Amino acid sequence: MSSVTLDHVWKYYGKTVAVRDLHLECPENSFLCILGPSGCGKSSTLRMLAGLEQISAGEIRFGARRVNDLPPKDRDIAMVFENYALYPHKTVFENMANPLRFQGVDQPTIDSKVRKAAELLEIEHLLDRKPAQLSGGQKQRTAIGRAIVREPQLFLFDEPIAHLDAKLRAHMRGELKHLQRKLRTTTIYVTHDQLEALSMADRIAVMHEGVLQQLGTPDEVYNHPCNEWVAGFVGDPPMNFLDCSLEQQADAVYACNAALRVPLTPQQAAAVNQAGGKLEMRLGIRPDDIAVQRGALTNGAFAGEIFVTEPIGGDTLVDIRLPGEQRILARTRAGFRGDVGEACSLTLDQTRMHLFSRETGLAYF
Amino acid sequence: MASREVASYQTPIGRIVGLLTAVFLGLYVLWTVLPIFIMFVSSFKDLLQAFQLPPVGHWAGIGVFFDFEPTLHHYRNLFGNLGFSTYLANSLLASLGSALVSVVLGSMAAYSLSRAEFRGKQDLLFWIISTRMAPVVAVMVPLYAIFRSVDLIGTLPGLILAYTTFNLPFAIWILKGFFDNVPYAIEEAVLCDGGTRWQAFRMIVPLVAPGVGAFLVLCVLFAWNDYLFASVIGSGGAKTLPPATFALVQPQNIQWGSIMAAGVVTTVPMMFLGLVIRRYLVTGLTMGAVRE
Repeated sequence: MSSVTLDHVWKYYGKTVAVRDLHLECPENSFLCILGPSGCGKSSTLRMLAGLEQISAGEIRFGARRVNDLPPKDRDIAMVFENYALYPHKTVFENMANPLRFQGVDQPTIDSKVRKAAELLEIEHLLDRKPAQLSGGQKQRTAIGRAIVREPQLFLFDEPIAHLDAKLRAHMRGELKHLQRKLRTTTIYVTHDQLEALSMADRIAVMHEGVLQQLGTPDEVYNHPCNEWVAGFVGDPPMNFLDCSLEQQADAVYACNAALRVPLTPQQAAAVNQAGGKLEMRLGIRPDDIAVQRGALTNGAFAGEIFVTEPIGGDTLVDIRLPGEQRILARTRAGFRGDVGEACSLTLDQTRMHLFSRETGLAYF
Repeated sequence: MASREVASYQTPIGRIVGLLTAVFLGLYVLWTVLPIFIMFVSSFKDLLQAFQLPPVGHWAGIGVFFDFEPTLHHYRNLFGNLGFSTYLANSLLASLGSALVSVVLGSMAAYSLSRAEFRGKQDLLFWIISTRMAPVVAVMVPLYAIFRSVDLIGTLPGLILAYTTFNLPFAIWILKGFFDNVPYAIEEAVLCDGGTRWQAFRMIVPLVAPGVGAFLVLCVLFAWNDYLFASVIGSGGAKTLPPATFALVQPQNIQWGSIMAAGVVTTVPMMFLGLVIRRYLVTGLTMGAVRE
């Protein structure tokens, strides 16, 4: 197993920049997710790690070894592709045995290793089948099997479960994480699904337009997003953003707009002051951190009007119209009833609130 | 997937069209099958019986076509006296040899042209196919001169080379289409599995096998049916079936029986080949066209 370092890596396709000055480190045995929307450069990054694409500038190191000029076969990596990329004319057994055959391993060893991996992935009964006879989940397990039999230094996953149906995807998330913890192989996992990243990774690298936005643990990325973009991308349903301005009053600093007036905690006020924050801000608050009540205003609450309610099983999403043409989404308990147009009151958990600069999008807290 | 069934309803016009179709198909079958039938039957008749015709308008006399004593005389003559076993072997070697060389070289060239990006690729591709644009006759004389200067005239390698000259560009173009349809991910998987580029190529060749197979047959057919190259480049030492058959037409003596038997010998292997690979030929030739 080895650590992985991307040292100021750039990738150009012609004149288009796909990856811009990416600096990342993935410690030994850890699970790093690269998260971002399509076209953010995450797949290019993975392909550069695999050696399938040239590195335009910068350096990639596995441990202390520079791999820029090594072809994939000399990097000791295994990759699982988005569309599985199984060999259609070979059986599951031969698909999984293929990397070992390239290494010139003898037949008894191949036999035992493939069977062990198949057992781990619960596909022993499928070894004689061809890929066309497998379901999506089975294909995906075969592809993972092909990756683990060779016991590589590094696993690379390129959205491996994106094409599975929702139920199987949820199941495979757990399986993959369990597998990685068990094998302790350094893993880099590319996905556009923030839920996969949050649930599986030790650390998440959020990318947008070829630029690394934030590198941190799932907790840091979710609870302390470094900018408005990350805050909006991670989390489902997404964070609410409201324009607001700061007002200094005798006792405290308030974030205000037509609908709201939220006092900042002293720590929050200090953070804004320290960063030399302007008065124009964006306030971010997750739907989970908003409490909704039907009817009359209580102390410290704000008035709104229910636009629509959407029960989603365990919870209910309430879309609320605020004064000044603003909308805000709250998540509340199942069984919340509210009619369209009904007045309601809402309270924000101000300790869980975020403020972003309106110009740069950077977070103050 | 939606059903492919097309609902059809009977109308008077439809019935007439159906009848006309049947008549047309009947005539077409007669037109295409009759010559082959006559060739087959005549090759087993002696000369007198072969030229027996009923009087004009006497349809009942059609039986004379079938009233004969089968004889293998012409075949014995063909293989015993006229040396057709050599010509048959030459034909087989020349067509299979050139088809194999074309497909092996062609698939490697097609793979690289399909995968590699380099300056002038489009021009190179056009240049390759442009060598097929000139009519064969136009290059025959210079080709003859070149081949003679390197002593390839009248040899099998010379004939194979000549056929390859014409099959290879075609092979590259057709096979490139097949390789273009194979997803990159499969060879990338090979590379990540620890394979070399050559191993990646070997891994995807089975995936284009229907295309390769279909093209192999086209190459064989081209060489097998060729007369021009065979009579010019192959004349003498590497005579194949078509020129050998033509040689049976002599000013004093047109050996009809042997010509018919030679025709059968030339036709049967290709018909057989066609039957064997019919399924692959259809999938192979349509595979490149429809992108899934």
